[in-house]
Amino acid sequence: MKNETIKQAPLLEARNLTKVYEDGVKALDNLQLKVHPGEIFAMLGGNGAGKTTTINIFLDFIQPTSGNAFINGIDANTNPLEAKRNVSFVSENVQLYPNFTAMQNLDFFVRLGGKSNYTRADYENALVRVGLQREAFDKKLRDFSKGMRQKCGIAIAILKDAPAILLDEPTSGLDPKAGKEFTKLVGELRDEGKAILMSTHDIFRAKEISDHVGILNNGILVAKKTHAELKGVNLEDLYVEYMAGYMDETLETGSLINNLT
Amino acid sequence: MFKLIFIKELKEILQSSRFTISFAVCSVLIILAFFMGAKNYLASQSQYEAALQENRNQIAANTEWMMVQHSIMLPPQPLMALVNGVSNDVGRNISMSGRGELSADNTRFNDEPLFAIFRFMDLEFIFGIVLSLFAIIFAYDAINGEKVSGTLKLCFANSIPRASFISGKLAGSFVGLSIALLIPILIGAALLPLLGVQLSADEWLRLALIIFSGLAYFGLFLALAIGISAMTNRPSNAFLIGLVVWIFAVLIVPRASVLISGRLVDVPNVDDITAQKNRYRTQLFDEDRPKMEKFKPANGTDPQDVMTQFSAMMRELSTNRQEKIDAFTERINEEYTNRKNRQEDVALALSRVSPTSIFTLASTELAGTSLELQNRFMSSAEEYQNVYANFMTEKTGSGGHGGFRMIIRTTDDEGEEPETLDPNEMPQFEYAKTSFKTAASNSLLDMGLLVLFNLVFFGGAFTAFLRYDLR
Repeated sequence: MKNETIKQAPLLEARNLTKVYEDGVKALDNLQLKVHPGEIFAMLGGNGAGKTTTINIFLDFIQPTSGNAFINGIDANTNPLEAKRNVSFVSENVQLYPNFTAMQNLDFFVRLGGKSNYTRADYENALVRVGLQREAFDKKLRDFSKGMRQKCGIAIAILKDAPAILLDEPTSGLDPKAGKEFTKLVGELRDEGKAILMSTHDIFRAKEISDHVGILNNGILVAKKTHAELKGVNLEDLYVEYMAGYMDETLETGSLINNLT
Repeated sequence: MFKLIFIKELKEILQSSRFTISFAVCSVLIILAFFMGAKNYLASQSQYEAALQENRNQIAANTEWMMVQHSIMLPPQPLMALVNGVSNDVGRNISMSGRGELSADNTRFNDEPLFAIFRFMDLEFIFGIVLSLFAIIFAYDAINGEKVSGTLKLCFANSIPRASFISGKLAGSFVGLSIALLIPILIGAALLPLLGVQLSADEWLRLALIIFSGLAYFGLFLALAIGISAMTNRPSNAFLIGLVVWIFAVLIVPRASVLISGRLVDVPNVDDITAQKNRYRTQLFDEDRPKMEKFKPANGTDPQDVMTQFSAMMRELSTNRQEKIDAFTERINEEYTNRKNRQEDVALALSRVSPTSIFTLASTELAGTSLELQNRFMSSAEEYQNVYANFMTEKTGSGGHGGFRMIIRTTDDEGEEPETLDPNEMPQFEYAKTSFKTAASNSLLDMGLLVLFNLVFFGGAFTAFLRYDLR
């Protein structure tokens, strides 16, 4: 937690971000968030809370209904090509080209990210850093486990060396050891000055490494706590409290009953 | 960025097991098509030469030109074996007569009726059916497959323009697969001279254009499949749609266009026309019969004089009849040909909705096996008919038009045998095939349409991808 970097301009910023889908579902409602260099912002929330929608807007996969998403001060939806030069992305389930080896995948995606001056040694160093066994470097991805693919995904993000990183539930489905290794790597990237926006269901990991934790409920950022504010607070209780509020709300509106029937 | 995607696509294709299997199957089929084509051509060539020799032997065995039963034959061409077109349906032999209507018989299917059902596996079949289907199999999940697997999202988390991505993908797929197809095609082409099939420069050029048309045809199915993939979210849906489009384009539209044109333009069938001609011929003969019955020799009773007078009368009657029959036949044939041409024009116009028909028309035109083959053979035969008639008139005093013949031969006391005929005296028949320039210009429309279809499907895929939901 490098508080001195917080004063810098945010690398990721959602400003009054609202998204209403064609079917009328409001996925995001006036979301405001900022992630500064050297910060990790963890978005918590149930399914459909708006976490992935936020990331999709930052990556220009969908357009916001209103509001703006900025990457390094560049509007991600009006100038997406320029904005995406400044961001790396690791998805929940990193899927690379199965007929390519880890090295070939790395080479392709890193070049796609605009870096074409790396050597094989650089790729090897990145893969070693993320904890991939050397024997796997030249194996085809179709033989890789999910954990190994996630490691390749983070290696690509490291090599792209963008100032901001978007992580969409990156530890989902990983075994505890792999999850811990992954979290350690994310912490290291934060310490290198990267601004990281991470969506996750993992309350404990979020509390462990995040500088800010935001709880999304029906597209609304209902709570936002700093790491300092979370000290001594049982995040699980806090989360359940907000989710319970959500449950009460939905019960009141009858939507849960409708869903059950 | 385009180059990066292009190279990635090439590598991905070449490293996929789907490619390995398809490449192996295509290679075997293509090389087999060349091999079988070469073997068929050589067999046809030796059959043709044997028939020519038989014709010469038959002439050489005769002592009177009047007794010669002369036939002309359609010479086999190497490209006919590679792109069959209608060459197996066209009669290869014409019994020559100095006048009257000629008809070709003895089609390839007379000798090998089984192939009339199953057809030959020529280049047109390989490209038209097999490779177009492989194009669908290869590319049906080009876009939505990447979406489902998640690589599309990972790619577009970087700053790449959609236009570069789809262009690179289309170009990479096309070049990768085309090069892979060109390898067995070149091996097959190299096999031709090794197997003893010598192609002229003109024929090599034609073959090159056939291959170009084939690749353009393959490319449009590839672009179509990528387009469908960019309009659907699931590979299974894309495959189903691709398959339905393929069935319509390859199997249904060409056949349906012929059926529809048959309904739109009524053409009397050949049997009706033949019956009309026969009726007219019988009618004319019946009209002449009383004249024949009333024949009385003018002077003397010398049998040779009687026969000469009778022959002269019969020849005059026959000539008059033939003139009337020719005029009638010309009129009825012209009417038939006009209607048939109109029906064909409608069928061809309708069938050009399908790229398969376009490719078939282009390749058969270039190979000289289009619908024109029969007309061209008959035109050559009719031109030869005049030469033959003059030759026979010179040799026999009559035009060699068959019919009733009576030869009275007298021998002297020494019993000297008459000399046999020299087959070299018989004028040679030459089939006038279309020149390369004519064939190329005739197929220009269809090659242009293939390129146009490529551009349309490429544009469709491009536009669809620009609006594609990448999530």
